[in-house]
Amino acid sequence: MTEPSKPSKAGRWPVARTADIAPGECRIVEVKRHSVGVFNVNGEFVAVLNVCPHELAPVCRGPVGGTTLPSPPGEYRWGRDGEILSCPWHGWEFDLLAGNSLTDPRVRVRRYPTEVDDDTIFVVL
Amino acid sequence: MADRQFPRKKQGMPTTLPVIDSDIHPTLDPARIVQYLAEPWRSRFASGSDGPGTLGYWNAAGFHQADAVTDDGDAIASQPETLARLFFDTYGLEYGILNSESAIHIGVGPDMTFGAALLSAMNDVMANEWLPVDPRFRASINVGPSDPQLAAQEIHRLGDHPGMVQVMMGSGARIAYGQRFYHPIYEAAVEHDLPVAIHPGNEGVGITGPPNAAGYPSSYIEWHTTLVTSYISHLVSLVTEGVFVTFPTLKFVMVEGGVSWIPPILWRLDKNWKALRKTVPWLERPPSEYVREHFRLTSQPMEEPENAQHRKAMLEMLDVEQMVMFSSDFPHWDGDTVDFAARSFTREQRSRVLSETARELYRLPSSTAPAASGMEQALTYD
Repeated sequence: MTEPSKPSKAGRWPVARTADIAPGECRIVEVKRHSVGVFNVNGEFVAVLNVCPHELAPVCRGPVGGTTLPSPPGEYRWGRDGEILSCPWHGWEFDLLAGNSLTDPRVRVRRYPTEVDDDTIFVVL
Repeated sequence: MADRQFPRKKQGMPTTLPVIDSDIHPTLDPARIVQYLAEPWRSRFASGSDGPGTLGYWNAAGFHQADAVTDDGDAIASQPETLARLFFDTYGLEYGILNSESAIHIGVGPDMTFGAALLSAMNDVMANEWLPVDPRFRASINVGPSDPQLAAQEIHRLGDHPGMVQVMMGSGARIAYGQRFYHPIYEAAVEHDLPVAIHPGNEGVGITGPPNAAGYPSSYIEWHTTLVTSYISHLVSLVTEGVFVTFPTLKFVMVEGGVSWIPPILWRLDKNWKALRKTVPWLERPPSEYVREHFRLTSQPMEEPENAQHRKAMLEMLDVEQMVMFSSDFPHWDGDTVDFAARSFTREQRSRVLSETARELYRLPSSTAPAASGMEQALTYD
């Protein structure tokens, strides 16, 4: 985990350079005492509170990848590469672009808005 | 290393005849194979699940929790020091029972002369290299149930070791655990005042039968969900065959088998007993009473119904305070944390589940361990 960031202006926290986080990767930062994972989802930066709603695991330490899409019995269709975060403890899958669990839309990881200025990524919190 | 030489001429083989070899075994590079696989098979194969080995099911959640590693990337549970520091300390455990991975699979191998030797070696590693490291560690004596004589020998060898607190076997078995075949194991365990435990995961492995009564499940979710059928089978077998009549001091621990299925199975068992008592005349009481007295259950994996009240209602039908003991299953993918488990039991049940039932069963002395950080967290929820 990196050192706490200094605010450049209220509610907008610089957390990393865009080049620091490659597509598919995550950097875990601390913002206002919250552990937050900043993901590069195919070029879009997504910030997620590092707490799983299930048993409070550090969800952002889980693998990011694709998943199996809805399909008829016995068929497999793969997709959404780089968009799905799986909790490291129990494997619950979350949609990084929307925040919801893939099995229950009411179960969500907490997402924060991000902004990119020049090559700096900000988390709005 | 130099290439191997093939001295064809020296061995006097005719060189003029064409030769066709009808069976040669190349080793294909897994890194090349994965390039030809489509998803989701590519992810599955790359994660190490490459088909029928143990059984070949794919646990897409990963067998170990992905973050159960040190900063250096070593598995926390692979060294006693890191397990003590990064798990026992974190959750403030007073004691923990160590059940070595893989032992239940070895216990159902076809060659138990080797299997028993291997299990003894594993038990020695535990006794000599793990238990002395931390006073909070206790362990199970792993035995192979398919050779009860060898299993009993191992129980006698280690049964009085102060750190060994129970006998462990897999819930996958060749025949149900109530049968007389297993009496040498129970006799030895009782002699050393050790409970006998079973743990799931070897269903369908080695010389066990198919993983469930319908045969071979296709997927890990099917296999894992139906593991409970082993537990139902063994529980009913142990009671109806009269094991607890023969061994009245025996305690049987069902580890990781779930909890909420027990009340309705006991209703069914008691009802059948009223009509079929004459087939099991050695039972002097309703079967459910033997279960309450002799069985202990570990809590994980906690069932998680949509409405938590439903689970509470199921637990009211069970003697939770006498029967259920907290377990984390660390570092496996379906584990429960202390705080999550604690919140799932009432205040009255909590101290029994978190420590006291296990303390009685395993005869663990009270220590003055500092209050558990996980427990403090648990107590702030209700």
